[in-house]
Amino acid sequence: MENELRDLSAYGLSDEELFAHIDHNELESEKITAPRYSYWRSVFRVFFRNKVNIFILAVLFFIIIFTYLYPTLVEYDRFGNLMDPSAKHLTPQAAIEKFGFSIHWIFGTGAAGGSTFDAIWNGSRISVSLALICAAINMTIGVLLGAVWGFSKKFDLIMTEVYNILGNIPYLLLISVLMLIFSPTFWTMVLAFTVTGWIGIAYFIRTQVIIIRDREYNLASRCLGTPITRIATKNILPFMTSVIVTYAAVEIPSYISYEVFLSYIGMGLTETTLGRMIYEAESAMVTPGWGFEFWTPVAVASIITVTLYVTGQNLGDASDPRTHM
Amino acid sequence: MGKYILKRFLHGLLSAFVVVAIVMIMIYSMLDRNLIFAADNVYRNLGNNQKTVYQYRKWQEYGYINLLTYTDYLKMLAREGEIDQETREKAASIAKKEENDSELVAEYVAKFKEYCAEEGYTVQRLNAIMASPKKYASGGQQQLFAYRDRPLSSRLVGYVTGLIKVDNIHTVEEMEDEERGLTFTLHDPVYGGEKFAPAIIGNGTYHKYLLYFDHRFPFIHQNLVTLNLGKSYAVNAGIDVFETMNKPQGAYVTRTVHYPTGHVEESADDLHTAVYVEGSLEGNQVNIDRFVDEYTSVTTEKAGLSKVGYSFKIGIIAVLLSYLLGIPLGILMALYKDKLLDKICTFYIIFIIAVPSLAYIFLFKAIGGKLGFPTTFDMDSSSALMYVLPVISLALPSIGNLMKWLRRFMIDQMNSDYVKFARSGGLSEGEIFRKHILKNAAIPIIHGIPAGVLGALVGAIITERVYVVPGAGNLLTVAIGVRDNGVIVGVTLFYAILSVVSIILGDVLMGMVDPRISYTSKSR
Repeated sequence: MENELRDLSAYGLSDEELFAHIDHNELESEKITAPRYSYWRSVFRVFFRNKVNIFILAVLFFIIIFTYLYPTLVEYDRFGNLMDPSAKHLTPQAAIEKFGFSIHWIFGTGAAGGSTFDAIWNGSRISVSLALICAAINMTIGVLLGAVWGFSKKFDLIMTEVYNILGNIPYLLLISVLMLIFSPTFWTMVLAFTVTGWIGIAYFIRTQVIIIRDREYNLASRCLGTPITRIATKNILPFMTSVIVTYAAVEIPSYISYEVFLSYIGMGLTETTLGRMIYEAESAMVTPGWGFEFWTPVAVASIITVTLYVTGQNLGDASDPRTHM
Repeated sequence: MGKYILKRFLHGLLSAFVVVAIVMIMIYSMLDRNLIFAADNVYRNLGNNQKTVYQYRKWQEYGYINLLTYTDYLKMLAREGEIDQETREKAASIAKKEENDSELVAEYVAKFKEYCAEEGYTVQRLNAIMASPKKYASGGQQQLFAYRDRPLSSRLVGYVTGLIKVDNIHTVEEMEDEERGLTFTLHDPVYGGEKFAPAIIGNGTYHKYLLYFDHRFPFIHQNLVTLNLGKSYAVNAGIDVFETMNKPQGAYVTRTVHYPTGHVEESADDLHTAVYVEGSLEGNQVNIDRFVDEYTSVTTEKAGLSKVGYSFKIGIIAVLLSYLLGIPLGILMALYKDKLLDKICTFYIIFIIAVPSLAYIFLFKAIGGKLGFPTTFDMDSSSALMYVLPVISLALPSIGNLMKWLRRFMIDQMNSDYVKFARSGGLSEGEIFRKHILKNAAIPIIHGIPAGVLGALVGAIITERVYVVPGAGNLLTVAIGVRDNGVIVGVTLFYAILSVVSIILGDVLMGMVDPRISYTSKSR
């Protein structure tokens, strides 16, 4: 801008009109005029900035509808066509030809003549519920105990021994013993997954807590007399959010994978789950023309786990405040 | 350092035994012990009292209870010299019902009950079950026995103390004392007695050959100290778990064998493995033709590897492959962060982590089958191609894992202050990369190497099942399936010790690579 002197007297204004005295306001000077910051709003802003996430969320939405809504709306009878030998092991084309086009037959039929499509979503309802419940229980116990474990030195001594011992018990043995003692039901499976499943998470959280606990700002906070609960909830927990979300992203699909694995080796649930479908269709895989029965549950299980994993990972990335710039 | 490692090892060993104790509690007191008869055909065909006795005998075999039958008790008395042979035989014939016992029998039955009460046994007498007044019902003979549950402490102590067995000349009970002894020979009789081959042969020991040479690696072998992980009942009847894991499988390898009697024939028998079996020479023409003493039980030589051998062979190749591929790929990912290569590899990592392992193993089996690789394992085939698919299936997830962590560690190092400082100090990018970033990022990766190598011994359940590999991965699941308690406990101990050792070795290796890490407070 050009600097030029102006003659104010040319405007014909009095001194009072030109200059007004403003008092110094103590209260106003204390306010910081930064835009309001909300942690979770920034998390979602960063999350939706990535267009892939919108697509993944859409897929997740479809999966949730099909796993939870579809089975309640559609009556599924596993042995509905048991007496009809021509209904068994049909490819999608043959099934559509036989029964007419409907959503039930787009994946063909299984060994008992039932619709594979319906079976898959009934199975995934159990598998996904199992994964979500186990992850919720294990993450809660693991994070809480891990935090205490990281803070208390006495507790650390005991828990490290417990970890050494529990970590060495073959997981497979534990699960099969529990499955044999109780009947192989859904809640037994939950118990089997959570009896020692939390200890790995707790150990991970402990290590993270120890790393952050002794940082300078926490030392300073302690010197200023902040109570330990406040340090834990206000200074450390926010740091852990992204770590916990990332860990959960790995945990949830791993339970689905493990359920598939257990069913495959013959130690799974008796109800139709994704794992049991894969186990039952294993022999169909090598039979020419029947391969579809095996690959559809495998593909659906993979899509579910990949979607859950990617959602969790990206949410974990977004919940790290360092990415909020 | 040595002291520290020893301390860690002993500590770990203690943890391993606690694990064994927990597993013992789980399988012996929490599981329904009737389940072991679920697939037992003998049990199904027995009737009445015999069925009950069979049940208790099996429970003793599987380690649930201590069983003492009345006949055994009388034999024990006879051995102690309290009664003579004639009284023993008379006292042994108990009547169909307790009230019908003769005076002598009643006296000894009372003694038996008294003894049992003292030792904490529960006495059970089963009266005869008659089909007609003169004829027993099937398996209906009268029985008298006592049992007591084995407490955990005695089971655990017995197991731990029996883990390592040292053979000595007093192991075999039924032998005259003057016959016992060790002989050292320079010409092993197995080779016809002419060839120079030193061996130590025992008499009175459990194994005949305590030390010998043969053509197999490591050429010198010993039977003096043996590891005893527990007996298998159903998986591999009567054989020690350790042997079950390490015994070669496959087709017999026949050679010319010179038996102790001078008999020569083409056979797969490995005479060096001869162990003592009481009374095996009596009335057994096959053994009489071949052996001069009762060291008659030999194992056979087979062409294939053992269960652990196959698992290890596949596992170790997979570990090597994954380090050879995973490390360069991880480095490249970090170098070209956010470029195409990084994106492709990230996609692969997501695929491997998120997709159930069963799914991608089947996928690779299908793809490999289309490409013409053999999809099933055949022990008798010498083709190396059959290893390709199992090795790839095992290596793929560990490659993904290595890439993920190496990339993470390297990017963390790249952003650290000392790297910026080095750059401002004028070091070239290559120098910074090789001398600083890579060295620091490799430390946690190195920590995992022993676990990877030792983990190869354990085997992989799904891979081995899908490709029909006769490996060790299935051992635990099979044992759980048939409730073979001996194998479950033995395999658990084996796994626990492996994991303890691999963590210690990882720490030691890390300490060797990184001089900043010290495990003893003194050297600081």
